[in-house]
Amino acid sequence: MNDRTTTAPPELAVRDVTVRFAGLTALDGVSFTVAPGSVHALIGPNGAGKSTCFNVLSGLCRPAAGTVTLGGTELTRLAPHRIAALGVARTFQNIVTTQGTVADNLMLGRHALTRAGFTASALRLPGARREQREHLARAREIAELTGLGAHFDAPVGLLPYGDRKRVELARALCLEPRVLLLDEPVAGMNAAERARTAEVVGELRAELGLSVVLVEHDMGLVMRLADEVTVLDFGRPIAHGTPDEVRRDPEVLRAYLGTDATGEDAA
Amino acid sequence: MSDRTALLTRRRATLLTVAVLLCLPPFYLDAFWLRIGLFSLAAAIGATGLALLSGTAGQLSLGHAFFLAVGAYGYTWLAGDPGPGLPTALAVPLAVLMAGLAGGLFSPVAGRVKGIYLGIATLALVFLGHHVLLTAESVTGGFNGRSVPPLSLGGFTFDAGDELTVLGVPFGAEERLWFLGLALFAVTWFTARGLLRSRPGRALAALRDSETAAAVMGVDVARHRSAAFVVSSMYAGLAGVLLALAFRRVVPDYFSLVLSVDYLAMIVIGGLGSVAGATAGAVFVTALPLLMTRYADQLPLVAAPGSAEGAVGPTEAARYLYGAAIVLVLLYAPDGLHGLARRSRDRLRRRRSPTSDPASAVPSPSPPAAAARPKEHTL
Repeated sequence: MNDRTTTAPPELAVRDVTVRFAGLTALDGVSFTVAPGSVHALIGPNGAGKSTCFNVLSGLCRPAAGTVTLGGTELTRLAPHRIAALGVARTFQNIVTTQGTVADNLMLGRHALTRAGFTASALRLPGARREQREHLARAREIAELTGLGAHFDAPVGLLPYGDRKRVELARALCLEPRVLLLDEPVAGMNAAERARTAEVVGELRAELGLSVVLVEHDMGLVMRLADEVTVLDFGRPIAHGTPDEVRRDPEVLRAYLGTDATGEDAA
Repeated sequence: MSDRTALLTRRRATLLTVAVLLCLPPFYLDAFWLRIGLFSLAAAIGATGLALLSGTAGQLSLGHAFFLAVGAYGYTWLAGDPGPGLPTALAVPLAVLMAGLAGGLFSPVAGRVKGIYLGIATLALVFLGHHVLLTAESVTGGFNGRSVPPLSLGGFTFDAGDELTVLGVPFGAEERLWFLGLALFAVTWFTARGLLRSRPGRALAALRDSETAAAVMGVDVARHRSAAFVVSSMYAGLAGVLLALAFRRVVPDYFSLVLSVDYLAMIVIGGLGSVAGATAGAVFVTALPLLMTRYADQLPLVAAPGSAEGAVGPTEAARYLYGAAIVLVLLYAPDGLHGLARRSRDRLRRRRSPTSDPASAVPSPSPPAAAARPKEHTL
């Protein structure tokens, strides 16, 4: 699967992570492991703690207990930009792009991979300009890969919803991530846009061999893409396994459909 | 590719034309106009710094006057007596660094406090600075200020001392300083645009639009906030030096809160976050009161300076005007003069049919909806 020259992504291990917001326990002893190069889906009803879990993984939220390790590195003590520098990129549930063109947004994704500082940029030193040129070329490649090639120089604000959502994905890819966190990548998209994004995520995984953690309500997409699924409900992990196993799990059915999970009903 | 080369050539030609045009005023205009130009150039440098901080990084600063003062007094002290009496050419960069250092000392605050809260925090700097300027008499000269030693660059002095005639035009202090101001402004233009269009500029814009998104994309939030503050202080310092040279005397009362507010007015009128906008705003806010003072007798409703009580003097009239300008800009063109110019240029390009009347292409306020910046937040 990993036909790139880069090494396989390290294992991302979440162990007993607990997050409390003033009395509310958003995550309660959540553990799961994302195997290198796999797609791991995190599902659950609204308010189950999926986004909080992402915020812990990307360093925006510090857990009260538990650890998150990437390879041998402990992530819970690190600032968000340090975690990004380790190759963990994410997208947001609601689109968070910055003003400017698609190119500007994608180049922001190259931030951690580039060096040009204030002085070099202000004086337009040759090194800084060369770096910018090289990374712009790579950003253009990624735009092509995600189907944004035609909009590369277009202002993000003028793009339709689906494309803006894809800008976020492309920007995350510009980080050359080893672990990609996708928070509802197809929410609000129409069927064609969903299919397109699913295709892109599938391609990425095949081509770049990266690990993907996916939060998504679209079960069709989850079943199609995920190797493993962890189900959260009220911050607690209630099931874990392959998509097929999870789909048949009585606890999961109860959480989603509200059925009484006694033996007779589950049959 | 050839398209791009053509564009580059055209851009270079435009730049050269503008440069030549900007070199002409000393040969045709008298000292009054040159002084307006000089003050405008200095303001443009300072406003560019503030545009970087407030427009691009989204950090409000009311302390700009303080850093202008550090630059102005820094130069005067470094090059003067009492003071180390350094060569003036060395005192200029050192004064700029001093302003940067002052910004750096404030960076524990500037890196942590964001937006409007930083505005309040920087307010303290202005009052503190003003107090120090009044009391540290041995360095600042107290209430009466100090006279500024003229800049001397490799034997050439920027004052009216020795006779100098260029192409039949006697070159006094203003004529010479004009070229200095132009050179410093060119440096500002070059560096600020370089910054805005590269990695740090993008990081700062990302910080402004969404701190969370910037952080997860690898931007060290606190470090970039402080750096923006330091860079902005250095531009303010440079503007301070040029102002000191143009005024030939620095006095504490000039560097008051009103000056900080003037600079904010410049970047709002000009359009946040662009060097060209900051320049346009700086010229507008600086030149307007000076012009109105000069032509007070010919303007209706404006009394001559120092006339009877209750009459609207030229300075007050100018303030009313630019107050009105701010309100109009905020209502009808939130992206300022720069955005207005860009939109009317776009409209011109779209309406390039031969029948179009050039008079109809005059920038008219258009609904702000399209100009409003799309901002989406998370968390």
